[in-house]
Amino acid sequence: MINEFFNANVVEIKDLWKKFQVYQDKTNSLKERIIFWGRQRTEEFWALRNINLAVPKGKTIGLIGRNGSGKSTLLKIISRILYPTQGEVKVRGKLSTLLELGAGFHPDFTGRENIFLNASILGFTRKEIKERLNDIIEFAELGDFIDNPVRNYSSGMYMRLGFAVAVHVDPDILLIDEVLSVGDLAFQEKCLARIRDMQKQGKTIILVTHAPKQVEDLCDMAVWLDHGEERLQGPAQEVAQAYKEFIGIT
Amino acid sequence: MGQQLKEIYLYREMLKNLVAKELRARYKGSVLGFFWTFFNPLLMLIVYSVVFSFVMRVQTKNYAMFLFVALLPWNYFATSVLQGAASLVQNSSLIKKIYFPREVLPLSVVLTNLVNYLLSLLILIPALLIFKVELTLALIAFPAILIVETLLVAALTFLVAIANVYFRDLEHIMGVLMTAWFFLTPVLYPIDVIPQKAKFIFNLNPVTPIIEAYRSIFYAGKWPQWDALGYLTLGLLVLVIISLAAFGRFQKTVAEEI
Repeated sequence: MINEFFNANVVEIKDLWKKFQVYQDKTNSLKERIIFWGRQRTEEFWALRNINLAVPKGKTIGLIGRNGSGKSTLLKIISRILYPTQGEVKVRGKLSTLLELGAGFHPDFTGRENIFLNASILGFTRKEIKERLNDIIEFAELGDFIDNPVRNYSSGMYMRLGFAVAVHVDPDILLIDEVLSVGDLAFQEKCLARIRDMQKQGKTIILVTHAPKQVEDLCDMAVWLDHGEERLQGPAQEVAQAYKEFIGIT
Repeated sequence: MGQQLKEIYLYREMLKNLVAKELRARYKGSVLGFFWTFFNPLLMLIVYSVVFSFVMRVQTKNYAMFLFVALLPWNYFATSVLQGAASLVQNSSLIKKIYFPREVLPLSVVLTNLVNYLLSLLILIPALLIFKVELTLALIAFPAILIVETLLVAALTFLVAIANVYFRDLEHIMGVLMTAWFFLTPVLYPIDVIPQKAKFIFNLNPVTPIIEAYRSIFYAGKWPQWDALGYLTLGLLVLVIISLAAFGRFQKTVAEEI
């Protein structure tokens, strides 16, 4: 408990830089590597420059910016899918990323079987999954379809099942990348309600979006990224307002 | 490396599910379903016994069995390495979107083939009895040999899996390499037909002592050569550590390269 009190920041990012090598002609074959040894034309591309961020426990942070501003890259670095070129990222607590719904679903397996598969890829044990199974099935609103192979699902049903698993895995920190637009309006409302529930439970959420409205509605704080650099960081309303003025909606 | 192993342990449920998925999905939709796991080695056995007892009459006593006891573990080895080479690239969509210890993917290939190999023993043992090969107490050495083989399979699978991300041709070269390796390993022929001059090459082949050990316990009814297996185990432990370290080092950029 004392430890938690002192380490109030669950995610800490210090002097983070991320460089990508952009190949002009991507050569991944042995032959070409030997022929073009050391002569491959690559361009360096800094996707993130000097990012600093501290996310306090229980807060919701919005990462906002235009396409290519580096917000998804930042999310991937926090979730350890990508590694930073320089700088460090510290994460305290169990983390779950909502980048893609229904990751690893097997088309021939039933919805129920896929829940186990998908949740285990997200790092959960059988016991943890079993405890949440009924909630997940109920949330996905699939009815009897839950015991049908997912290849018979409509894309909406597929997404709903994926979302249901993802929001029930109960992480301490949840990272969300523009996946809130799944399903019909009613289901979207339900997803938002679920996120508000998680906020009430004291979960920390990091949300990537290009919609200032979502930042205003859901977030406590926000970071505005532009071409890999931080343009503004502060209270959600303030950042959303500035961003709106920048892109020209009022 | 401790951290690496701990992470893999935390994702054991994923590992288990991937193996179950492979085992079940492979034959899903086929009429006989899971029974294909047994039919494959059975059909293979029938083909080999017909060919080698009627068509091409080999001098070796009970040649079909001589071959079968070596071919099953060879297939475990070769199939794992070949499938393992593709394991990361094939799952690129998962790797780009979700964090999990990447070691889980090649490891699931190894475990799937291990289970398949164990299941094929349910065909091998009755076949040995039918062909009147004497089964002895030496069979209890089986788990030890299996562990030694699995160390080799796992280490190589990790290495080819990560290397294939950076050199995509590897996947295609592997097929030819494994065929060559097959002929350089005493699977089809007994080890004593190798000329003295060429013997040193065969001594460098880590699969040879493993195949020989299986053949001793299943076919000859003798204990394996423990000293050879012991040295091999030491070497393989080093190889496992190297392969895990290499995997850990290069997996950091996998999501970008894939």
